[in-house]
Amino acid sequence: MRFDSPAADRIAAVAFFALGASMTYGGYVMDRLEIRQIHPASIPGLLPMILGVVLMVCAVLLALQAGKGDEAAAPSPDVSWKDLFVALALCCVYAVAMVGHMPFGIATALFIMAFSGWFLWPPAGADMSIRMKIGAGVVLFGIAISAAISLLFRYAFLVRLP
Amino acid sequence: MEGLQSFGLALAALLTPMTLFHVAWSTLLGIFVGSLPGLTATMGVALLTTLTYTMDRDSAILVLICMYVGAIYGGSRSAILLNIPGTPASAATTLDGYPLAQRGQAGYAMALATAGSALGTVVGIFMLVLLAPPLAEIALEFGSFEFFWLAVFGIVISGQLTGGGSPLRGYIAGILGLMVAMIGSDGIHAHVRFNLGWSDLNGGIGLIPAMVGAFGFAEVLTVMWRSRAVMVDSKIKTGDTDRVLPRLVDLLRYRVTIVRSGIIGTFVGIIPGVGEDIGAWASYAAAKRASPERDQFGKGSKEGLIAAETGNSAVVPGALIPALTLAVPGSAPAAVLIAALFIHGIRPGPMIMIEQPDFIYSVAAMLLLATIAIAVFGLSLTRLFIQVLRIPRELLMPVVFALCVIGPYALTQRLFDVWVMVVFGIIGFILRQMNFPMAPLVLGIILGDLLDKSLRRGLTLSDGELTPFFTRPISAAFVVIILVSILVGIAPVRRAFAGVKARALGSFTGE
Repeated sequence: MRFDSPAADRIAAVAFFALGASMTYGGYVMDRLEIRQIHPASIPGLLPMILGVVLMVCAVLLALQAGKGDEAAAPSPDVSWKDLFVALALCCVYAVAMVGHMPFGIATALFIMAFSGWFLWPPAGADMSIRMKIGAGVVLFGIAISAAISLLFRYAFLVRLP
Repeated sequence: MEGLQSFGLALAALLTPMTLFHVAWSTLLGIFVGSLPGLTATMGVALLTTLTYTMDRDSAILVLICMYVGAIYGGSRSAILLNIPGTPASAATTLDGYPLAQRGQAGYAMALATAGSALGTVVGIFMLVLLAPPLAEIALEFGSFEFFWLAVFGIVISGQLTGGGSPLRGYIAGILGLMVAMIGSDGIHAHVRFNLGWSDLNGGIGLIPAMVGAFGFAEVLTVMWRSRAVMVDSKIKTGDTDRVLPRLVDLLRYRVTIVRSGIIGTFVGIIPGVGEDIGAWASYAAAKRASPERDQFGKGSKEGLIAAETGNSAVVPGALIPALTLAVPGSAPAAVLIAALFIHGIRPGPMIMIEQPDFIYSVAAMLLLATIAIAVFGLSLTRLFIQVLRIPRELLMPVVFALCVIGPYALTQRLFDVWVMVVFGIIGFILRQMNFPMAPLVLGIILGDLLDKSLRRGLTLSDGELTPFFTRPISAAFVVIILVSILVGIAPVRRAFAGVKARALGSFTGE
């Protein structure tokens, strides 16, 4: 799976075309404020309509252009999809499900411990003492950083933490 | 002369112990941010903006400028040692910086990068003081028609120059940014658009949460997705055989390259939404064309390294010229700076020389202090910066993300802005992996309101007539430039143009 492939470009072109069409329609049906007797050329939907049409044209050009460039020949970058999805999941859970639903300091400490712990945890078969060392380090790191960020924002910047 | 006098006065006013303290910590922080792959100048300035809103106006702007200058310079560290640009601005630096480090001259490469960056910024500051006041005066002549075309020009030229081989991707990114700006209350009739029944969207999408997401969270995902970088095994780590101060003779030998790169960088900075990376590449290409030792470029050329670093640093003052005088950012970090200026009660734009005539000179003085700081820190703390590069990404990235969450929240105290950050982070990551540039997107968010208001005001003034958009002199000039830019971006037109040029040259030389 690659983001910079002709197939990805075609999917993006379809998404952009749909977005452009929605914007054009949204601009067209938008209130023209006749009741406020505004100048007909200053209706709020004017620019959204224009932008929608331009994006649709660009989407068609993108679909036509897909696969014609040399991007498909570019070497595949050295990446880890598993790392990406774990990082994405941890970040989303922290930002959407934890912050605002529990004290910020606790949420942040748990997030940092989980994130660092997951990626730094030694492979199976590693020495127990190494595991203990990494585990203790990650817990201390999470608590220290969380406390530092919370105190900084709470008392230095006077922010009421979520 | 009057400008230099105002600059001197502004500089003298800034020379207080508290100011110097702010310069020291914020520049140092900027260098750290820039040197760590995954932390960019835009992210640094955006995150720091969220920390400066309790500061007084001048201190806040000062620390943001120091962060900007420091981060652009700091990118050279990882470019030289890891072959990975710490910020996109240092991509050209890797070409010659890394080969020099492989030869055991990492310290000297960093010293040259420091000298190049400092001198490039100085050239840019000189041009800022020289060009910004007259540009603000010219901008006073701009009406709705001209501002409309200025906004279109910004998107087109930014898309063109940052889209790489495909300007179309740059245009699409720009249009997406403009569309984001259409969300929320419109600037003329205060009619709420595209809020999808969500009252949190009535005020629109904030630039800072969007930027923190697109440049912070997206970068966290990118760093975790890619494999780890390996640091070059240079003598700097253990021995002292490598020099860490630049030789004057080298700087004198490359003085023309330094001045040329500084001027190119500044002009690239002035172009809306075209950032430091393009400034570095343009300076590098120009230096390579003009150099007698061009065969050494890419193999560890000192001249190439100096050209790239001078070029990217000169973009910083250059990017502030349109940001201050037209409220049109010259680069992505400058876009965040514009948002920060508004937060601190400064209205950038043509009226700045009337409302706050000394502010441009204050900014130039702040840039100079930041330049001095990067020179001092860059030359004295080389070994410390190498240690910073050893911080594991597994520890750094969750801290960065925690700051990405609390930063936007701190500005408005709304959890909604945290969700905006997350959404923009994911969209930004996907778009970036698909080779869509981020700079036009940011520029679109900033310019959307200007474009919308100028178009509708212009049409109201002309009673729905389109003619004034094309017949007023400045508008007509913009139209011609925009059309030529778009046509040049179309491959068949470009090829036809090259063919005509080749035939013309052939007939001229009698072949």
